[in-house]
Amino acid sequence: MSVAHRRSINWNVGVRAAVAVICTFLFIAPVLWMVTTAFKTGNQAFSGEIHWFFTPTLENFNEVLGGTRLTYALINSLQVSVISSVVAILLASGIAYPLARHEFRGRDQIAGTILSLRIVPPIVTIIPLFLVMRTIGLNGSLLSIIILHVFMNLPLAVWLLRGFYEDVPKEIEEAGAIDGLGNIGIFFRMVLPLAMPGVASTALLCFVFSWNEFLFASVLSNAGSQTVTVALTQYVTPVGTEWTLIMAAGTVVAVPVWLAALAAQKYLVRGLSLGAVK
Amino acid sequence: MTTSITESRVSRKAARPSGAPGGRRPKKLGRYFAMSPGLLFLAALSLYPTLYSLVVSFTRWNLSSGEAARFVGVDNFVGLLTDGLFWNSVRVTLVFVFFSVLIELALSFGLALLFFRGFPGDKLLRALIMMPMLCAPVVVGLLARFSLEPTYGIVNQLMRSIGLPTTEFLGNVDLALPTLIAIDVWQWTPFLFLILLAAMQGLPEEVIEASKIDGASWPRIIWHQFLPLLRYPILVGVLLRLIDSFRVYDIVYMTTRGGPVDATSTMSWQIYNVGFRAFNISYAAAFSWLLLLLVLLAANSLMRRMVARS
Repeated sequence: MSVAHRRSINWNVGVRAAVAVICTFLFIAPVLWMVTTAFKTGNQAFSGEIHWFFTPTLENFNEVLGGTRLTYALINSLQVSVISSVVAILLASGIAYPLARHEFRGRDQIAGTILSLRIVPPIVTIIPLFLVMRTIGLNGSLLSIIILHVFMNLPLAVWLLRGFYEDVPKEIEEAGAIDGLGNIGIFFRMVLPLAMPGVASTALLCFVFSWNEFLFASVLSNAGSQTVTVALTQYVTPVGTEWTLIMAAGTVVAVPVWLAALAAQKYLVRGLSLGAVK
Repeated sequence: MTTSITESRVSRKAARPSGAPGGRRPKKLGRYFAMSPGLLFLAALSLYPTLYSLVVSFTRWNLSSGEAARFVGVDNFVGLLTDGLFWNSVRVTLVFVFFSVLIELALSFGLALLFFRGFPGDKLLRALIMMPMLCAPVVVGLLARFSLEPTYGIVNQLMRSIGLPTTEFLGNVDLALPTLIAIDVWQWTPFLFLILLAAMQGLPEEVIEASKIDGASWPRIIWHQFLPLLRYPILVGVLLRLIDSFRVYDIVYMTTRGGPVDATSTMSWQIYNVGFRAFNISYAAAFSWLLLLLVLLAANSLMRRMVARS
């Protein structure tokens, strides 16, 4: 009886694993195809058959990264994403830490209002902000994109950091106060280091959202301030069989995000659900 | 920076009416001092532009004409409500949002049930399955075009190999919108899956144990024990997907450009066209207000429940 029972469980595990592998493959097959195509020569990619095994070439990457629009865009995107994430974390910490630590009048209203900004579609935001940026002469600059990306990421960062600061035991602050640290000292020298894994994950998520953002960057950038997503639009009407290049470009843009997500994996679900699921 | 915890405990113990300790007010000020840069930044980028956008929506203002904005009352809104392209974009958006979120929820729930009891290698698969949603929508758009390309695309190659005809998914009036929905489902089902899986793994031990007993009671356990306990994570996941699918733009830009014959012209896409291609910025502002109202209508009750829960 118990042997039969165990066998049925094992069988179940096997079936579940097999079905899960098939499902996972359906989701990653296009991505695998993109990455493999990026390593193919034109002949390998366009023979009319699917080759999963072939001799890889770096030709496409050399061409895509060799001083093209995409190379400059990568540098722009790196600046925009890193700066906007750091600024978002700093501004959000200022809001999130008091929200996490103190009960005061209007606290829930502040938190709720900040979260509700997440609802507003970016196309609604960009119309007036484009006009404002145009008036003050900032459109076309990286700074204008950075400002909008900070704005875009702040609600997320506030909600996540609030949770991470709540997780820091309150006794730490008492210890800090006994050691004679001021509030700023307590925050930067005791709370922040303890909350660091969460804070770093939040920063990585901000980085990902900024890196992947398209609408703000496309409206506000000019030829010199294109981010990677904007630079990719040059491939939207492919000429002939440029696809191997395009897939190399897509891979180059996707890889930093995969790495960032890998680094933030522990808190990824918490971050993506705005802290609702831990 | 903020009131230290020692302070606030002492003050809680202290008899309130007899007056707060003298040190409290500066600490309280410190709290607002810490919050003010972020709050001011948020206010500056939301309140003023919102009002500005509202004002603009009551004017006639075309950026390409060089003429100054002129107040025209509700003309733009009246124009929108009699504009076939506006109603078309509302229909396209609602169809897109409804079907993509519904299908994503159903698929991700099934996937999460498949994963949550665990099997060797489940962590690796879970990490791999995230890849689509981590790709920029712009990259997904390019990948979709390549995958669905008639001659070399992997989808058509596979379809031919099982005897199906070559299909122009993105160029067909009837197939373009379902194809966009499929692309969104492909990219974002993993997102809901991760949330639901984490939520299921956090369920109380007894519920998980009960679910491990195989037998006919499975559907009942899911319906009576899982669903009630998973209501909040489902709510949050659906809310986030709802908000994000209302803004669908990047994918449209990279694949169909609203076509063929406006079959995939979502509201965000249409607003972009009106505002940044035709430069009819006042009409676009009015249009965007109607989009915002629609999103608020759809998301508001869910949002309130989410805030109340936290």
